Amino acid sequence: MSWLRGVCSRTGIGAVAAVAGLAFVAVGLTSCGGGSSSTSGTQGGDLNFDETSYPDYLDPQLSYTVDGWEAEYNTYIPLLTFKHAAGSAGTEVVPGLAKDLPTISTDGKTYTFQLQQGLKYSDGTPVKASDFQSTVQRMFDVDSGGSPFYTGIVGAADYQSGKASSISGIKTDDSTGKITIQLTKPDGQFEDELAIPFTALVPPDTPAKDQTPNPPPSTGPYMISKSDPGHQFVLERNPEWAKTNEKLVPDVPTPHADKITETVVKNLSSQTTQVEQNSADFMIDPPPTDRIPEVESKYPDRFRKETTVSTYYFWMNVTTPPFDDLKVRQAVNYAIDPAALQRVYGSLLSPTQQVLPPNMPGYSKFELYPHDINKAKQLLQQANPSDKDITVWTDDEEPNDRAGAYLQDVLKQLGFNAKLKIVNGATYFTTLGDLKTPNLDIGFSDWFQDFPHPNDFFGILLNGAAIHPTNNNNFSQFDDKALNKEMDTLAQQQLNSSTEAGYAAVDKKVMEQAPWAPYGNREVTTFTSDRINFDGVIFSPVMQQDFGSFSVK
Amino acid sequence: MARFVTRRLVGMVVVLFAISVLVFLIFNVIPGGDPGKRICGKNCNNALLTQINKDWGFNDSLPVQYVTMMKKVFTGELVSYSSQLNVDQQIKKGIPITFSLCIGAAVIWMAFAIVFGYLSAVKAGGFTDRALTILALVGISMPVFFLGAILLLYLTSKIQLFPTAGYVSLTSDPVQWAYHLFLPWITLAVLFVGFYSRVLRSNMLDVMNEDYVRTARAKGLSERQVRIHHVLRNSMIPVITLFGLDFGAVIGGGAIITESIFSLNGVGQYAADAITNVDLPPIMGVTLFGAFFIVFFNALVDITYAWLDPRIRLGTEAR
Amino acid sequence: MATDPWAPPYADPTLPGEVEQDTGIPPAPAGVPVEGRSPWYLAYRRLRRNRVALFFGALFIVIVLFCLAAPLWAHLVAHTGPDTNHLTEKIDINGQPTDVVNVDGIPIGPGLHGKFLLGADANGRDVMVRLMYGGRTSIFIGVMAAFVTTILAVIFGILAAYYRGWTDAVISRAMDVIWAFPVLLLGIALGTALSVSGSGLVLGPIHIADDSIWIPILIIGFVYVPYMARPIRGEVLALREKEFVEAAIAQGAGTMRIMFSEILPNLVSTIIVFFTLNIANNMLLESALSFLGAGVRPPHSSWGSMVSDGYEFLYSAPHLTIIPGLMIVLTVLSLNVFGDGLRDALDPRAKVRLEAAALEESH
Repeated sequence: MSWLRGVCSRTGIGAVAAVAGLAFVAVGLTSCGGGSSSTSGTQGGDLNFDETSYPDYLDPQLSYTVDGWEAEYNTYIPLLTFKHAAGSAGTEVVPGLAKDLPTISTDGKTYTFQLQQGLKYSDGTPVKASDFQSTVQRMFDVDSGGSPFYTGIVGAADYQSGKASSISGIKTDDSTGKITIQLTKPDGQFEDELAIPFTALVPPDTPAKDQTPNPPPSTGPYMISKSDPGHQFVLERNPEWAKTNEKLVPDVPTPHADKITETVVKNLSSQTTQVEQNSADFMIDPPPTDRIPEVESKYPDRFRKETTVSTYYFWMNVTTPPFDDLKVRQAVNYAIDPAALQRVYGSLLSPTQQVLPPNMPGYSKFELYPHDINKAKQLLQQANPSDKDITVWTDDEEPNDRAGAYLQDVLKQLGFNAKLKIVNGATYFTTLGDLKTPNLDIGFSDWFQDFPHPNDFFGILLNGAAIHPTNNNNFSQFDDKALNKEMDTLAQQQLNSSTEAGYAAVDKKVMEQAPWAPYGNREVTTFTSDRINFDGVIFSPVMQQDFGSFSVK
Repeated sequence: MARFVTRRLVGMVVVLFAISVLVFLIFNVIPGGDPGKRICGKNCNNALLTQINKDWGFNDSLPVQYVTMMKKVFTGELVSYSSQLNVDQQIKKGIPITFSLCIGAAVIWMAFAIVFGYLSAVKAGGFTDRALTILALVGISMPVFFLGAILLLYLTSKIQLFPTAGYVSLTSDPVQWAYHLFLPWITLAVLFVGFYSRVLRSNMLDVMNEDYVRTARAKGLSERQVRIHHVLRNSMIPVITLFGLDFGAVIGGGAIITESIFSLNGVGQYAADAITNVDLPPIMGVTLFGAFFIVFFNALVDITYAWLDPRIRLGTEAR
Repeated sequence: MATDPWAPPYADPTLPGEVEQDTGIPPAPAGVPVEGRSPWYLAYRRLRRNRVALFFGALFIVIVLFCLAAPLWAHLVAHTGPDTNHLTEKIDINGQPTDVVNVDGIPIGPGLHGKFLLGADANGRDVMVRLMYGGRTSIFIGVMAAFVTTILAVIFGILAAYYRGWTDAVISRAMDVIWAFPVLLLGIALGTALSVSGSGLVLGPIHIADDSIWIPILIIGFVYVPYMARPIRGEVLALREKEFVEAAIAQGAGTMRIMFSEILPNLVSTIIVFFTLNIANNMLLESALSFLGAGVRPPHSSWGSMVSDGYEFLYSAPHLTIIPGLMIVLTVLSLNVFGDGLRDALDPRAKVRLEAAALEESH
């Protein structure tokens, strides 16, 4: 999957939709200022944003890309939501349409919510507690890519397979607004899962098919008033927001701009020129590598880089030679030069050597393998692997293809006979995820958080239980019994300082085994026109750009 | 005549059918493109995969899947695998852009080809002819993406004469429409200017030696009149035939690279995106769309010829 | 007869200077008996007089030699291979240590700085070395695909025209299908599908890996078959009625013998012309496919894929687009001009006959 949103490669052909896989919500950097948007900037104004490709869906139950979630962050509000703030403050789960955070039973399996009373959808329909049930069911009905997050709800599996006509684990009471959710086992990430947009409430009569051309009524401060798929969509103020919802949803600030028009402009270079010349107010994707130096030097007061909560890494298949040998894996880690890869990514990459990225709870910086090619060669000499014919995998999206070419060259220097295999970006992760694919030795991958919980990395990418014959995400096929157990135990607990310390320890223990050679956290950019109050723009660590925070000077 | 037309139309349908089967097979028989797994996404589990395969009909046999897909093509219900957008509507949205590009380029290429071809023929062997010939051959040898890149680099960046990309609709602002499309038109037209001017030149040289041209001269018509009314006119018939076929081909997919380079969101760009995403429904849609134009213009040219020249039609029917 | 942007310009006229020259032979002085000269000799004489064509023919040979010299340059001058990265290295320019690729990821351009004569690409690879190796791929694909096209087109063209009836109908309709398939779309679709599969192409016992350059070769060769098969069929239809064929039939010659010993030699001049121009078109199509990411796949690189890789840096490192792009133009131009001269030399009236035959028989 292309990183983030399927940024176009040179011909505009590289754009990939969300199908393939890795999606990605990202967390931002602490350095970009913070504070709630409601405190600064003026109200009003119509803004024009450029995007390279249309969001995968403008349907909260289906969208699974940053592009979609950015549009939905101020539009479709789930029971819980993420605080509208930059930096680590933005990872906090706060009440959305629910009155408070849920009460969780002592066994960790029952969540009780109180829906705010008096909420309305943008078409004037009152919001009912039972809408939550119909929304979750709708998500299963449309075969949403997000539905696997919610199969832990009692009765969800039966509903999905058609054995039951409703999800028995969800009980709602329209008169009191009480919602209870029953889980099959405790889940430390469940609050996060209820704060990402998949369960954002929509009216019960919303058809169970993709509504992108005609997005459903919203509960948030904005509504999508026009959607012309592939070309343009428009966010406008939800008339019901000021009337009723604003007071009932205090954690979602009222946005500044009256109207945001987001238009597809295929060419990143034209987007850059438009923002430079103030004919567009903001570009969602970073300017092309080609022009970042120019933008950075000419417009330092309206351009900055933001680090996403993502890890780019090379996986090594620990089940077959030569990477079944720890020394070989460590040698690769030593041989990779973060400075070189930073150049490959045109400086939109901040180097790392560990699994968890900054701004992820549990992150604690360490560097086990500082770049040292001689040490790498030594280690390899000691290991002296018999199998030196290896295949290096990467996808064809710029610059991942070049990262692969770099890795191949490094491996050649180490004495391997490395063959580069570049796979179409749309099918790359399904190809890697199919364990029957031959010669899965080493290759590129990336992972963007879905929500700020370390188990969204370990549980999916490095837990032995996550090895599947198809659609596998544990590309290293790393299966360490002791670490599996640690991860499982941590995953069932709610996040607190002690579990975070536990995750930091797991991070280090994993890297001592070196199933990966992580190399960077991807960066994106905020580049706005002159008329935008630049310092007020919030880069949410979970939802990325907070459209509500954009204000006219 | 009616039988001939019917024959050609039936032939058209058969060819389109064969193409649709071919596309379907290319993307189905070859393994690895399993759309179910890709729709399922990064968090796939078995329950979801099973459900997707059932709901999208991926478990059906290939012929059944083919029939279902073709039914959807003709009822306008075909949606893409990657975003569930309606394929027919997306193509419809791209049509004004693709047509603007192709028609504009066609006007340019015919105009320049006629002028260059004419000059080349009347000055045959002279300096003008040699210069134009070299130019034409350079035009024929120039990859479209290279020409486009050079124009972009020098005329939009080094000297900022033209906008880098984008499309402004004809109805909203005709001047901006032409201004934005100028470079794409040139890029697409250059190859054909080169090719057509050469064809026209050789046709004119042939016609000049025909008896009726000598007769016209003998009647005392001026050289200019002879050239334009007799030579050029008669030399244009094969050129116009070629034009019919090429125009069909350009609309039917020949403008993919031009659209990509200049970020024009037309049918060609849509096709290219679909192929990169290995997204069968839009690929099927645009290929049939493209093939339709090619086959249609082929048939049109044939029918026009048959209408003009009864020998062809009789000859064909006799066979 | 139809064309598309990539079709060989076989309906193309002669080069200037050859217009009124049908034979290129000086008239024999009166009273001197004219010696019999083979048509090949006459063609050679005509070609030799066409300086422009000869110049471009020589240019093509120079380009081929340039590409063949790739390993020499890599080992003796550049001291680096086509795939060796120099991302974090510095070189000396006027005593100043300069990044091969700067921290923003922008590579250095061409210059006389010892290494990197034509600059580096975004991975710090030597463009000159890559250009020479890439040219080998581009030219190899062009030539091999031309063989594929020619062999298939000759076989199908002769079979269709010789047997007529059902054989002709089936072959012609199959050609119609390929013809009607938008060339680029067909090329990209096949290229992408084969690369996606991860298993490549399996043709009976032959297995071609998904990153083999034989995949673009076969695709390109296949796509152009109708463009060549149609005129050949037309020509064979005309030849079949000629006396020497009837004579051979009367003598009881076998079908195979008639097709390949009687008819085929008469097609040689057409085939040679087509073959040359076909290489040019193949190289253009290869570059277009590679540019769209559906042609040559790594580890191989061609001029088209070099442009494709470098296009991202059009504004900051234009040499990555311009240098391989110019090489494509030069090579294709040299083949086009030479092919053109070759046609005039081999058969000054080829155009007229071909066009008439194609027009007559395409209906």
